[in-house]
Amino acid sequence: MRVVIAEDLALLRDGITRLLRDNDIEVVAAVGDGEALVREVVARRPDLAVVDIRLPPDFHDEGLRAALAVRRHAPGTAVLVISQYVEPTYAEELLADRGGGVGYLLKDRVMHVADFLEAVRRVADGGTALDPEVVAQLFARRRQNDPLDRLTPREHEVLGLMAEGRSNAGIAEALVLTVGAVEKHVQSILSKLDLPQSATDHRRVLAVLAYLQA
Amino acid sequence: MDALTRRLLDIVTYRRLAFLLSAMPLGLVWFVALVTVWSLCVGLVVTPLVIPVAIGLALMTRGFAAVEAELARSLLEVPAAAPAPPPGGGRFWARMRAQFGLGFWRAQGYLMLRWFLGFPVAIIFLSLLASAVGTIFAPVWVPFLHGGAHLGFWRPHTFLQCLAIVPLGLILLPATLLMVNPVARMFGLIASAMLPPGTHPRPFPSSQQVGWPAGESPGVGSRPSRVPPRRALRAHALFDGSLLLVLVLIWAVSPGGYFWPVWVALPLGLVLGIHAWFVLMDEQDLALRVHGNAALTGSVGVTGAISLFLICVWAISGHGYFWPIWPMLGLAMVLAAIAAAGMLGTPGRTELTERIETLESSRAGAVDLQDSELRRIERDLHDGAQARLVALGMSLGMAEQKLSSEPERVGELLAEARAGAEHALRELRDLARGIHPPVLADRGLEAALASLVSSTPMPVELTVNLHRRPAPAVETAAYFVAAEALTNAAKHAGAGRVQIRIEERTECLLVTVHDDGRGGADSEGNGLRGMRSRVEALDGTLALSSPPGGPTTIRAELPCES
Repeated sequence: MRVVIAEDLALLRDGITRLLRDNDIEVVAAVGDGEALVREVVARRPDLAVVDIRLPPDFHDEGLRAALAVRRHAPGTAVLVISQYVEPTYAEELLADRGGGVGYLLKDRVMHVADFLEAVRRVADGGTALDPEVVAQLFARRRQNDPLDRLTPREHEVLGLMAEGRSNAGIAEALVLTVGAVEKHVQSILSKLDLPQSATDHRRVLAVLAYLQA
Repeated sequence: MDALTRRLLDIVTYRRLAFLLSAMPLGLVWFVALVTVWSLCVGLVVTPLVIPVAIGLALMTRGFAAVEAELARSLLEVPAAAPAPPPGGGRFWARMRAQFGLGFWRAQGYLMLRWFLGFPVAIIFLSLLASAVGTIFAPVWVPFLHGGAHLGFWRPHTFLQCLAIVPLGLILLPATLLMVNPVARMFGLIASAMLPPGTHPRPFPSSQQVGWPAGESPGVGSRPSRVPPRRALRAHALFDGSLLLVLVLIWAVSPGGYFWPVWVALPLGLVLGIHAWFVLMDEQDLALRVHGNAALTGSVGVTGAISLFLICVWAISGHGYFWPIWPMLGLAMVLAAIAAAGMLGTPGRTELTERIETLESSRAGAVDLQDSELRRIERDLHDGAQARLVALGMSLGMAEQKLSSEPERVGELLAEARAGAEHALRELRDLARGIHPPVLADRGLEAALASLVSSTPMPVELTVNLHRRPAPAVETAAYFVAAEALTNAAKHAGAGRVQIRIEERTECLLVTVHDDGRGGADSEGNGLRGMRSRVEALDGTLALSSPPGGPTTIRAELPCES
């Protein structure tokens, strides 16, 4: 797998580079701002771009804009946006093109190396990785006669992991369940919330998110 | 019906009635005393004796206004205060000018208004109440009256006939009492507009506890803030208009041919004109255009209105010798004296002093706020992230030490260290969000509020009406006012629904947060104090209405250009 990194803080840029290289992921370029990222991605065509949201010159959301520019200029490139804070609005914008291969994680997640690498691979393969914090914020929104109240606690957990973009196998691993048990929970959730069956995990994420944002 | 009975039995109604009736003795005293001293002033204007008399007039006005302000505060529960005495020191002429500042003219207008407007109102209420009580007790006294009672269309004189009219009184009495509240509210608006409490917050009977029902008067809040002047003027004009209409109707149905209501219309018009002039002055900053001389600007309006009044009186009373020329000459000389005093003094001294006092207190509030915020951040860092990093370092140190002796414990220590790092990051993130939410800088107010609302565990109706992005400081203040109010609604008020409205006005940003919780918010609590400091630091105003039992409305006006 070939990766380009955009992170303005040298300490973190070098750390992430080392972490990925240690795990046999090829880092083809590591840059410090959004323009350089788009340039490198167009020139080198990596599988994945890992982008910090706050980049020079204004340190607002240049990284997010750069990530969206990458999707436009080099379609098919997966993007993983990392940040010190998460906003559901940004997740929405990233997922807006419905193309898959999108990740949005807190920088904290880098510390769980195995989980982080799993997310990196999932995104590079066209899947989704949404930070649990984003999912929690979406869950916090309450509706009248909330259908989510009809879910069992276990189903809540499963729905959260589905929203994060995990596959059934991934959910089974995280909750220490069998894949069969997870499938049963998923079926129950889909019917309780009246959601369609989806062919891919990414489509399933989109359906769940659309539901949570409604 | 229950609400009606409660209202009729409510002591507040009777306090307001007492206020309205107090215009009879007080209005008379103010009118006689002021007219006497003003005449003395006008008569003495060419002699040096005018100076002690004018000072006496200023002191008298302030004394009378103090009595009126106390009445308005205790009986109507509106913020009101007598004009502040001018600051000591300075040159004689400057002090003289300060005596006759904006506050003096406002008080003068209010005192006159108590006579011209308050007196007839008091008479009307008194006669209505007397008729109602008289009718109710008619069976007791009318039969003993020679010739019975005159009702115009009927003359009941036996006990049974009198019994028949008792219901009339029973309807008239509550109807009169119900009229007390709207009329008193109008006087309350005028009192707080013309006797504004100024920049010194002073305690007044907890208005938000027993004051106007929420929503009726958002300007009357926890802090003595002024009723919007334009609203007070509108109420005043409306009241004058309806009073005249009633009088004209009475004139129309009565046989009297002479159009006497004109004698009520003239003084009402005079007072309304003066009131309107001051509102105009406030709104258009007229004072600044006339050499920053508020006294001169104010007296130009008053002089003009009085002259017009006198000319009208002369015209209606059958022309003849043009006597108004004498008082007008006197007024012109007063005007000249004020103008001369203005040239000698420093321009706009009183207004500038008032303004400086406001700015000083809001600046002190801002500094306090900043100081307490910095302390909070320091404390959070010290107790939170810093402590966690120390613990993390300790775990790592121990792991290093155990590497050779107990390698099996190293994994545990490392996991501990990682958990500590995650915790520290979470705390720092919350801290950063509390200082300035990143999404606010990135995407502006609407996105930041939407994000805030989306993670609130209750239904929030958010309306943002902005055409352009406000200045960053305004945006931040608006965000924190909304956020703090939302927290209060969720935490203290137990609200089920919240409405947040952000509206752009010509010169300000209006933030309104309304919740249906249990109300009774403590305006001196930390949260509201912080909110007010934030708003006042930008020269804005914050009004709170939170009667026990709710609902609570918080309204912040933030000037756009700051």
